[in-house]
Amino acid sequence: MVGLLPYVLKTLWRHRTRSLLTISGAAVALLVFCFVGAVQHGLFALTESQGAGSTLIVFQENRFCPQSSKLPEDYSRTIAKLPGVAAVVPIKVFTNNCRASLDSIVFQGVQPEQLKEFRHLTLNSGAWDGFNRQGDGALVGHAIAGRRNLKTGDKFTIGDVTVQVAGVFQSSDAAEDALVYTHLDFLQRTRGQNEVGVVTQLEVHLAGGAEPDKVARAIDAEFHAGPVATTTRTKGMFQADTLSDLAELIGFIHWLGYACVALVLSLVATTTVMSVQDRIKEHAVLQTLGFRPFRVFRLVVTESMVLSTLGGGLGVAAGLLFLSWAGMSIAAEGVTIAFRPSWNIALQGVAASIAVGLLAGLAPGWHAARTEIVPALRHA
Amino acid sequence: MALVEVIDVSKEYQNGEEKIRPLDGVNLTISEGEFVSLMGASGSGKSTLLNLVAGIDQVTSGTIEIGGADITKLSRGNLADWRAAHVGYIFQTHNLIPVLTAYENVELPLMLLPMSNAERRKRVEIAMAAVDLTNRADHYPRQMSGGQEQRVGIARAIVANPTIVVADEPTGSLDDDTTEQILTLLQRVNRELGMTLLMVTHDTDAASRATRQLRLERSELYENGKRLAARVLRTA
Repeated sequence: MVGLLPYVLKTLWRHRTRSLLTISGAAVALLVFCFVGAVQHGLFALTESQGAGSTLIVFQENRFCPQSSKLPEDYSRTIAKLPGVAAVVPIKVFTNNCRASLDSIVFQGVQPEQLKEFRHLTLNSGAWDGFNRQGDGALVGHAIAGRRNLKTGDKFTIGDVTVQVAGVFQSSDAAEDALVYTHLDFLQRTRGQNEVGVVTQLEVHLAGGAEPDKVARAIDAEFHAGPVATTTRTKGMFQADTLSDLAELIGFIHWLGYACVALVLSLVATTTVMSVQDRIKEHAVLQTLGFRPFRVFRLVVTESMVLSTLGGGLGVAAGLLFLSWAGMSIAAEGVTIAFRPSWNIALQGVAASIAVGLLAGLAPGWHAARTEIVPALRHA
Repeated sequence: MALVEVIDVSKEYQNGEEKIRPLDGVNLTISEGEFVSLMGASGSGKSTLLNLVAGIDQVTSGTIEIGGADITKLSRGNLADWRAAHVGYIFQTHNLIPVLTAYENVELPLMLLPMSNAERRKRVEIAMAAVDLTNRADHYPRQMSGGQEQRVGIARAIVANPTIVVADEPTGSLDDDTTEQILTLLQRVNRELGMTLLMVTHDTDAASRATRQLRLERSELYENGKRLAARVLRTA
């Protein structure tokens, strides 16, 4: 069959306009497929990642937007004494847009030493010392830096918050790459905030063997009668709750991914059917020369698979390049979902293309293989 | 020695409401190395008989033995394998694969047979030389004249050294000069390569180039104006 590959390729090239249109259609569909996959992957990474179940987030009770959650910072000292708690990280969140947006910027104010300890950040430029010394210094995720064209030393303003880039970082957690970290007290004191001693949330790191639910209940019970009641959830559950509307939407758009695959199936099948109808006589000639029906079937299926795989491969490559380059993310309520390319998405895309090519070629291949030779030879 | 034995073959097919029986109890024997022409009026069944011998159509009844193999008993897939090894088919309209060069068209039947690349290359070169088209090997069918295309068709038919070469009106779409060239070539294939040929034609001049001239009328075969008796044929 490999020896006949040049014949398959030349056959596709004979109707190059039709083949190229089909390939480009498949490429666009698989690009969208990759995009949808990246969004779902981002959401999954956020809710299922390492730490999502072993870290708790304490938020003000019945508050959902980070702007409205105001917890006393000294709650952290009380929580730190509870059994099962290893450390507490007070975080002040500022975002320019509480609604779902592709271009919202999320600031998190964290004490520098805790930032270094609890976040796995690798600085692409700048230095920790510079950040520690600089009160208005900010460490900017490389996705935002790329999107906003920010470099170390640049100043930028979002809302009332003006910071100077002390470094650009990369994180193993893609969602972190879409964040801006500042000093906690800077974000508490900055113009328009004036919230010294108040934080948005407390991130509770559990000791080994601690039961998250039990510790969460203990925290909420501790502050139930206090000045500000709390709601404590695992980080994964907190992010899932915060993004619930968006998650539903993302859950729905997986159908868009299936629709893309169906579109490729329809496109490639149509092209292959047309190709077979154009070449009824040619297939009869091949059978006259001694091609077995099954070999003719395989030729047609191979044509279909080449079209689909070429188009799909191009779409997957373009999708992954675009996702890498654009550093896109969507944020809601201060929680960010990063759209990142992955080998898993690439493999799914290529596998879907091959499967669709196979499926699209079955019926036309069967038709070509079952052709009665003598009537087909009389075909104009 | 009998190479082809067509024994009491009938062929029937449906054309809309009408049942057509172009062949009814036909018998024919062809010996190894013969060049047989088959003439007959339109609809007499000569092309049907040729297609049955070539193994691209199925008999309704009767048997066809070629080189000792009863091809009417073969499955569709096995019949295809048999054709690849034993039949060279020359079409009236050449039927070259348009996306392949002359060389690749000739090489195509050999892709189905077990042989090394070197052996395949050697056989294609010999076949191309036999039809005097070595200098056109890289040309596509659209870049060749009708006569050249037919010569490529002949090279494709003989390249696998088949048991029998069948030609369905091989000069039907050619001018007189080219017809002459093709007929001379077919005679050479028969004489110099020793291949057995069965050629269907409307052209009496073309038919006269064969070593045996047969005419098919109402399922009866005539040779030199005399009807061939079935039992004689069976024992030939």
